[in-house]
Amino acid sequence: MQNMIELQAISHHFDTASERIELFHGLSCTIRAGETLAIVGPSGAGKSSLLSIAAGLEVPSGGTVRFIIDGAEVDALTMRANSGFIFQQFHLMPELDAIGNLALPLRLKGNRDAFDIAARWLDKVGLRDRARHRPHQLSGGEQQRIAVARAFVTAPRFIFADEPTGNLDIHTSDSVAGLMFDCARETGCGLVIVTHSEALAARADTSLLLAAGKLELAE
Amino acid sequence: MNRWRLILEGSWRSLGESDGRISLATQAALLFFLLTLSLTSASIQRYLADNLDQMLGSDLVVESHSPLTAAEETALRSQAQRVSVTQLSDITLTHGDKWARVKLKLVDDAYPLQGNLQIGDTPVATQRAVSAGPRTGEIWLDSRLATQLQVRVGDVLALGGTQLRLGAILFHEPDRIMEGHSTTMRAMAHAESLGSAALGGTKVRTRYLAAADASQQQAIEAWAGKTLPGASVIRKDGGEHPLASFWKRTENFLGLASVILFFMGAVALDMTNRRWLAKMRYRLAIYASFGTRTRTGMLMALGEWLIGFLVAALLAALLAALAHALIVAQMQVQFPGLQAAWHWQPAARTVGLVFLLLLALQVPSLIQLSRASLLSLIRNPAESSHVWQRLVWSFAAVALLAAAYSDNWLLTGMTLAAIASALALMIALTWSLIRLGDLWGRRRAGLLPFAFFMMRRRLLAKSAQVLGLGLCGLLLLFSLMLMRDLGATMEGYGRSHDGNLMISEAKAEQIEGIRRWAGETGSTVRALRPFVPAQLVAVNGQPLFDGSRQPSDTLATMRDPIRLSWTNELPLSNSLTGGRWWPDATEDWQQISAESEVMTDLGLNYGDRLTYQINGKPYEFRLVASHAYKPGNGSITFWFQVPQSARAQFDAGTLYMGSMELPAPAWDGLAALWQQYPTLSLVPLKELTERFDRTLDIVTRLTGGYAAMILLLALFVLAASVSGFSADDRQKNGLLMSMGLRNSDCLRLNFYEWGATALIAACGAVAGTWIAGALIYQAQFRLTYNPDPLWVAGVVVAMVAAVCLVGYLACRRSLKVSVRDLLTT
Repeated sequence: MQNMIELQAISHHFDTASERIELFHGLSCTIRAGETLAIVGPSGAGKSSLLSIAAGLEVPSGGTVRFIIDGAEVDALTMRANSGFIFQQFHLMPELDAIGNLALPLRLKGNRDAFDIAARWLDKVGLRDRARHRPHQLSGGEQQRIAVARAFVTAPRFIFADEPTGNLDIHTSDSVAGLMFDCARETGCGLVIVTHSEALAARADTSLLLAAGKLELAE
Repeated sequence: MNRWRLILEGSWRSLGESDGRISLATQAALLFFLLTLSLTSASIQRYLADNLDQMLGSDLVVESHSPLTAAEETALRSQAQRVSVTQLSDITLTHGDKWARVKLKLVDDAYPLQGNLQIGDTPVATQRAVSAGPRTGEIWLDSRLATQLQVRVGDVLALGGTQLRLGAILFHEPDRIMEGHSTTMRAMAHAESLGSAALGGTKVRTRYLAAADASQQQAIEAWAGKTLPGASVIRKDGGEHPLASFWKRTENFLGLASVILFFMGAVALDMTNRRWLAKMRYRLAIYASFGTRTRTGMLMALGEWLIGFLVAALLAALLAALAHALIVAQMQVQFPGLQAAWHWQPAARTVGLVFLLLLALQVPSLIQLSRASLLSLIRNPAESSHVWQRLVWSFAAVALLAAAYSDNWLLTGMTLAAIASALALMIALTWSLIRLGDLWGRRRAGLLPFAFFMMRRRLLAKSAQVLGLGLCGLLLLFSLMLMRDLGATMEGYGRSHDGNLMISEAKAEQIEGIRRWAGETGSTVRALRPFVPAQLVAVNGQPLFDGSRQPSDTLATMRDPIRLSWTNELPLSNSLTGGRWWPDATEDWQQISAESEVMTDLGLNYGDRLTYQINGKPYEFRLVASHAYKPGNGSITFWFQVPQSARAQFDAGTLYMGSMELPAPAWDGLAALWQQYPTLSLVPLKELTERFDRTLDIVTRLTGGYAAMILLLALFVLAASVSGFSADDRQKNGLLMSMGLRNSDCLRLNFYEWGATALIAACGAVAGTWIAGALIYQAQFRLTYNPDPLWVAGVVVAMVAAVCLVGYLACRRSLKVSVRDLLTT
């Protein structure tokens, strides 16, 4: 079955009190499930905006975005129901323990075996003995491993990651990145990563550079 | 199922947080107060309804302040199966040197139509039932009266020259309901025992008890409505208890008091909502990152809130049931036989109303929540606090509650106006003081300028905090002050009153007797004003009780004749508040001046035509002026006054009210004066103060409970204020300590911030109280607003100290956390 996101000649800008800031103009690219894509570029180039547009969170100022799920074109809402996110700040629920955070998306989707599945994923990310720990009792790397597992646990078609290793040291970044790419390949979902890290970008099937409003293949 | 469990888990967790607990406690306190009020009210309404069935003594009663004409009485008798006529009058009964004010009922041979009288031979004797009233030449007294006058069955009492033998002690009359909740002592005699001249006073009420079937009752009611404008009709079938409207007004006044409580609750809830909203927005954004729709997230948030409300309702219901039982036990003195019971319908209605009001307060948060976006987890978008939206919804909720309960629009309007003015003042003060402080501190170093800088950065949040505390302070201060002043006024009534004996009603010939008696005993007549009893029956040709007017105390009083006085000049005890007073010695007698509050309550306008029934005849006046009571020149004032020239037009005897000063030896001679004039209504100040003490006791208990509720809610507001902003303060303190500031510096900075906040709030509260006092004291309670500066200053100091202390304790706790922990919050 075909799952993909098509960005065609999209432009985006935002207005401040005094001026309009053009982010990019006429960008096109296609993101497919089963592939990994990294977007790199300097701060302020519009990487996060491009990610938001691709994820259906934002509507571009110009151009068209098509979301194809199981071969059929769907709207942004359906797209979001088939997506997962990983954030720089982890964003775990502070009041829930590790397993509670992992089981949350499954429970919201009405899965009766949420805690069993969550326990298997905890095992998979090597945090079985941390199941009852709250986020503030976990290190940054452990928190991000939980966040990665949480994004994959519902088997989405696409995962969007915004600077997923931005808050981690090199060693921990490497381990989290490995986990992320392994999971993506194992589940066959599409992974889109926005990052400053060349090492992380190098792991992706395709790496695009967004700079000065243009998107091109990174060296 | 999983979602439901998630909702339940979320609700349970929020109860573990301080904000959740404060919110629950506030909701439970509000529900408790209103539920207790509703349950008590429902018990009393049911009691009154049962009472009406059992204690009317007939199928229907027509009550009139002047006897029906022969033709009218014939018409009534033709429509009923049987009729009994009774007359009631307030007189003074004497025996030896003992005397007592008594409500005397004169009955005929047909009395009672239904039920039995309970009598005995001594005040503690076994009661026996009889089916007829006293015989001619006999009088029956109730047990308290017999004890007070120290008389026994067989003794002879003199009443206006007639000798009456005490035939029995009266325990119960089947038409007792008509006396309502009055605890006045009662006596009963046969109408033929006294001459018609003996009871010629204004307070004679004539009641026609009728036996009639349902259709006859309807026909009589319709006939009385048309031909007897001043009469009231009470039916057993579908009628309203005479006390029902009295209780309704009491309930409405308590309801208005609950508006103030609700306002305070709204402030506490708004403060906790701030944190709830932030938490929920974050949660919904995370849910969205798993593909959960906003609608689902919103429903879950609403579900959590609903569970919190249900828990609060359950808790409140349990406490209310307990309080209701205690209150009913206390009220059994006023309403014998009153039973405490759970009333589902009124309780559900109250819970529903509170639910709607709390939901209205939640609407701004829900609107903001619907805008929660996953993007907020990627970026940090600027978020407005929607202060205006929150204010408007809070005000709308409070206005809705006021509309549901208030029957006194002037008081409600004044209360809301005072609150709105205080809010505007506090906003202005906050903004100007913080901006000026920031401007002053720009080129200065130190913690105080830095504190102003920080407050300027958080101006909106700071304003919300100041408004919350200030409003709470205002309501607390005003309620406590009003209670204190009302109590002091009631207690000090004797000191401020002119004279020590009130002439509450005397006929012209009795005045002569009084003057003679005063000359003999060395007493002086201080003030004397003439009047005739007049009943307002129509305004601009429309009957007064056609249902088009808002119910109010004033309107209820108009069911009975009021006192219409005449004067050419504006009395010294009055001031002109509007319109034009008539010229001296005017011949245009059809002019009238009304008290301004009466005008407002009845919705009267200048130029309105007011029709009064005086001694059975209609008289029409044009409303040309309004007046108000002016303290300091005697205590006698009238609701309505007309020119002197009007007196000649009235076909009724002049009555007087006034005051006297009696030297100590003269009191013993009073019994002789009353023996001569039994209908003379003189009220010694001692008796007046006793009545006040009884009222004061009830008022004190009521206001004591109310004050406890106000204090409880004030505590919630303070806790919510500290808890709602503690995360911000923890973060700020952590940052400052990471920059090398010491604990003591953080405490000082914190102290400056809370001090400034509390000071502005206290100033706003004092100013708001002053506005409320100036508006409400005179208009509603006839008190002059004279705040004691020391007391006010003491309150300001206490308020600032309390807020600073709580802020200091909260800050000390937060400083115990390490810098790292502070930064991670």
